[in-house]
Amino acid sequence: MRRSRSSPILSAGVVVVSGPLLMFSAYLLFAGHNLPGGGFSGGLVAGVAVLLVWAAGGIDAVRRVLPIRSHVFMGAGLSLAALTGFASFVPGLAFLESGYIKLHPPLVGEIKIVSALFFDIGVYLVVVGMAVGLVKALGDEESAAEPEVVS
Amino acid sequence: MFVVVLVHLIVAAVLVVARRQLQRWAFVVGALGPVATLVYLAANWGAVLDEEVVEETWQWVPAQDLEVSFRVDAYAMVFLLVVGVAGLAIFLYAQRYFTPARGPTLFAATMTLFGGGMTGLVASDHLLSLFVFWELTTITSYLLIGYDDRKAQARSAALHAALVTGAGGLAMLGGFVLLAEASGSYLISEIVANPAESSFAVGLAWVLILIGAITKSAQFPFHAWLPGAMAAPTPASAFLHSATMVKAGIFLVGRMGFAAVATVDWWQSAVVGIGLVTMVVGGWRALRQYDLKLLLAFGTVSQLGFMFLLIGSGVPELVFSGLAALLAHGLFKATLFMVVGAIDHEAGTRDLRRLSGLYRSMPVLFAVALAVSLSMAAIPLTFGFDAKEAAFHGLVHEGVLWVAAVATASALTVAYTARFVFGAFGSHDEGQEPAHGGSLRLSNLLLAAPASLAAISVVVGLFPSLVFPLVDAAAEATTGVAEAGELLLWPGWGPALAWSLVSLTAGSLLAWRTGFVGRVTDAVGVVAARLPSGDGAFRRFVPGLLSFADRSSGLLQNGSLPAYVAIILLVAITTPTVAVLRNGVTLAAPPTGTLLEWVLGLLIVAFALLLAFVRRRFAVVILLGGVGYAIAGLYAVFGAPDLTLTQLLIETLAIALFALVLRHMPATFSRPATARVPRLAVAILVGTFIFAGGLVANAARTSSRVAETFLAQSLPEAGGSNVVNVILVDFRGFDTLGEITVLVGATLGAAGLIRPILKNRKRS
Repeated sequence: MRRSRSSPILSAGVVVVSGPLLMFSAYLLFAGHNLPGGGFSGGLVAGVAVLLVWAAGGIDAVRRVLPIRSHVFMGAGLSLAALTGFASFVPGLAFLESGYIKLHPPLVGEIKIVSALFFDIGVYLVVVGMAVGLVKALGDEESAAEPEVVS
Repeated sequence: MFVVVLVHLIVAAVLVVARRQLQRWAFVVGALGPVATLVYLAANWGAVLDEEVVEETWQWVPAQDLEVSFRVDAYAMVFLLVVGVAGLAIFLYAQRYFTPARGPTLFAATMTLFGGGMTGLVASDHLLSLFVFWELTTITSYLLIGYDDRKAQARSAALHAALVTGAGGLAMLGGFVLLAEASGSYLISEIVANPAESSFAVGLAWVLILIGAITKSAQFPFHAWLPGAMAAPTPASAFLHSATMVKAGIFLVGRMGFAAVATVDWWQSAVVGIGLVTMVVGGWRALRQYDLKLLLAFGTVSQLGFMFLLIGSGVPELVFSGLAALLAHGLFKATLFMVVGAIDHEAGTRDLRRLSGLYRSMPVLFAVALAVSLSMAAIPLTFGFDAKEAAFHGLVHEGVLWVAAVATASALTVAYTARFVFGAFGSHDEGQEPAHGGSLRLSNLLLAAPASLAAISVVVGLFPSLVFPLVDAAAEATTGVAEAGELLLWPGWGPALAWSLVSLTAGSLLAWRTGFVGRVTDAVGVVAARLPSGDGAFRRFVPGLLSFADRSSGLLQNGSLPAYVAIILLVAITTPTVAVLRNGVTLAAPPTGTLLEWVLGLLIVAFALLLAFVRRRFAVVILLGGVGYAIAGLYAVFGAPDLTLTQLLIETLAIALFALVLRHMPATFSRPATARVPRLAVAILVGTFIFAGGLVANAARTSSRVAETFLAQSLPEAGGSNVVNVILVDFRGFDTLGEITVLVGATLGAAGLIRPILKNRKRS
């Protein structure tokens, strides 16, 4: 059995906090074009959430919550950001020059979708990937070292 | 032309992707490349011979005049014809040469890729696209020479070839840029039409371009890589290292030679001198070889010298004969390489001391080899003779020295041709007949491919009027002179024929007295081995360069982190400091600041000072975080919510990640290995620089603030009212893309370094 390292209070707290934390992170990402925030800070908040999960449950918990490898996050993010840049060529704009469309779904009112949002999502994914990658690399040894302690 | 190059690239890509499925038919598929070239030639043949020029241009970056521009005239057509005809024969030959089980698909793909590079090279009009195709042939040549990568000799030969031709290519690129800047155009057609005024830069440009040409075409003193390149499988030797790639340098001097002759007076004597020396050295060394392939390789060196001299000379009649010689050489040399490959394949050796009586056991192969060997030795009624006779006819006008030198080299050619034919096919006492000779039938591609090239060679030799229109149009395309020379079956009595006969007789004598010649060549060889040579220089140069690199990186990369940091910081502060001091120093008075700013500022200073005295690592991390949080406070005071938010989050994440790292490290710092005073000095210097730099920068503003433009454009142009974010994702989006790329690279690097370290620690 794995030695329980963290306090139950911390574990419970993380469960409560991480939901709102991720919502805040998403808010920063989407609000960023007009209000303080953006993909970078949003990604950092999500990174903090990952760290909290690690603090509560160790590397195993991180792996359970996020079974995707950090490379995938970073690769997807970088590709998305670069593709957004190239997509600007289609309507004849310069690389990464942003265009936007306005949608009018019922009840919600006007929603403006800026192409830069997808670029920001790319940035977000890269930052999350960095946090996950570093936590997994640095937090790795703990659980692997365990068997010697227990047996 | 685009289509032809694209067909090569696509076929190569398909061969790589579907290498298992296509394994059996790799070279048949690869032959689509040469077929495309031939189809293109057939479609444009009539037009180009009528002095039309087929031009295609693809604008890439119009603002920088960067474009891929193809311009096919009759001159390019000569080279394309060699690439197409020899390429097709060699691909079909290779289909039979390799056992399918050995998986030659990648080899076929590389050959096809090379074919694309070569066609693009000779069709290019833009200097830079020519350079790109040029390097593509260098790289594919490297891969093909080193194809047998388990042989150390093949690897080192590949490296030798790549280093020599690659270095030459770089020199050539420098020459291209100098020449194009002086001429005001990167298009070869315009540079040749309006040669740049003579100046030091233009002279240097021509020197560099000549270096590129002589390295690529294996001219003295850089010829040593070509015999080494014989480590490649025979189809590659036949295609790249005799028929096509090595002619790229000749192509270049022929294409640009006229502009060079018009601007620099040394060009002609340099080209002719280099060509002559190469001719003699190559022919002489061919006489000493026992390996049939090496014999042919030195023969190629000699022939390349011959063509280099003729085509690079800038004399219309010589260019004409050089182009004829180039076609003749493509036919006979590719054939002979394939013959040697067939002998090697059937008899298991290509050492002429171990072969005997092959004329009996492989009569058809013998007939093929003999037909083209006669052309190589320039015996009358062959294509080689027609071309050489035209050359002599032109050389006679240039003075007796030129023609005598070429005749001497030609005599050597006759002698090594005889050595080849008798060595490979004749009966010797010590050699042995191959056990399973006679198995080659004409239906076998190993025989059919060289036989068809030989047939072309014979037919053209008997009816030289077949190629005359092409050669004439090609010579006119570069020299502007039509009908500069003639290709005749029987030239009639005259000084040119006399020189031909002289060289034939002298060569036959050399071949007849083999014993005597062998002693002389051995004696000269003993002396020559002590003379400085290109090969020896290369062998000494590479280890010297490597040991220099070892020593310099040992000095700079000594593994001390404080040393690295000090070097980086000192370099970073030196350049701006020098720039500021040279322009005169104006300091702006620091702003007075509010009470809150003072409090936060002093907090930062206090944390930083404390940092210098703390011994526990964790305390250092906390204090660093304190500095960061205080800076975030300053941002907030200045009204920058985005920066504040990001700074706070970064600090939080950084402290947590530091904490993760610290679990693997001792709790306190050990005593520093480096002395205190230098570290203190660096710290004080950098601190002073940052402080003074702020004051200087504050006083240095000359143009209006960029912020106003950004503020005004943010909402209307990018549809966002958070200017900071709009700058990041739109106005400076390229920077951000670069930064996240760095972030990904740094993360992968850090994670990759950390994992093995932790694993090792666990084990111990």
